[in-house]
Amino acid sequence: MAKRILITDDALFMRVTLKKILTEAGYDVVGEATNGAEAVKLYEQLKPDVVTMDITMPEMDGIQALKEIKKIDANARVIMCTAMGQKTMVIDAVQSGAKDFIVKPFQPDRVIEALSKVAA
Amino acid sequence: MKVEYVSPFVEAAVKVMTTLLQVTPERGTLSARPQVFTTQQVNIVCGITGDVEGQVIFGMSIVAADRIASRMLGSPVVTFDQLAASAIAELGNMISGNSMTLLHGQGFTCDITPPTIIKGSNVKISTLDIPALVIPMRLKDIGEFEINVSIKERTRRAA
Repeated sequence: MAKRILITDDALFMRVTLKKILTEAGYDVVGEATNGAEAVKLYEQLKPDVVTMDITMPEMDGIQALKEIKKIDANARVIMCTAMGQKTMVIDAVQSGAKDFIVKPFQPDRVIEALSKVAA
Repeated sequence: MKVEYVSPFVEAAVKVMTTLLQVTPERGTLSARPQVFTTQQVNIVCGITGDVEGQVIFGMSIVAADRIASRMLGSPVVTFDQLAASAIAELGNMISGNSMTLLHGQGFTCDITPPTIIKGSNVKISTLDIPALVIPMRLKDIGEFEINVSIKERTRRAA
């Protein structure tokens, strides 16, 4: 069965792009969240296999949402997908339980590679 | 405003646009403006907070915005709708985000706010009392793209 993915990004363009890449690669995009708070809510509802998570978002940022999701499910698999790649942010995300960290702009292959590793 | 704050934005813009639009921007001559001011038709505004704070505005014509969005979406933009606006905003977010990574390498830890798009010419933003440095860029087959950087080091309060 296709792995179920929840996409989190405040930019419509990013959600459309990610959905296209993932759907073409055979993943099932079950939900799209536009901020961290929505991602936490949808995670509880949908129980996806993997979450992609932007960091800079209104309402609740991606790092906070990652921490909240980990509280709900310690085994949650979250991949950060953000324009900011400074070391402190990567370390913060990984220490908070992120499985991978993709810096935008990315090539579709980079996303598929991360997904196939994390979803396995 | 220090010129050293500008180079991360230039470097990030070149990197992001080369990857995303498959065009390497040609850099024009740097100039200064007393305030953040833009005569462009489409502007992406990103706030910067942290060790350095202020604003960066990416400005372009409607034609250039259409062409950039078309490349990002992989199909021609007929009307500049929400999806096209979101693509342009995301370009600003990516350049700002990559700039933050480079500024971090210089010892400044900063964060960015989600981008805002302002359409309409002669936009003047006068909330900040920071002079702006302007870097014009030319993108082949797309048009002009202007970066307005208006940031300063955060004032440290005495203990």
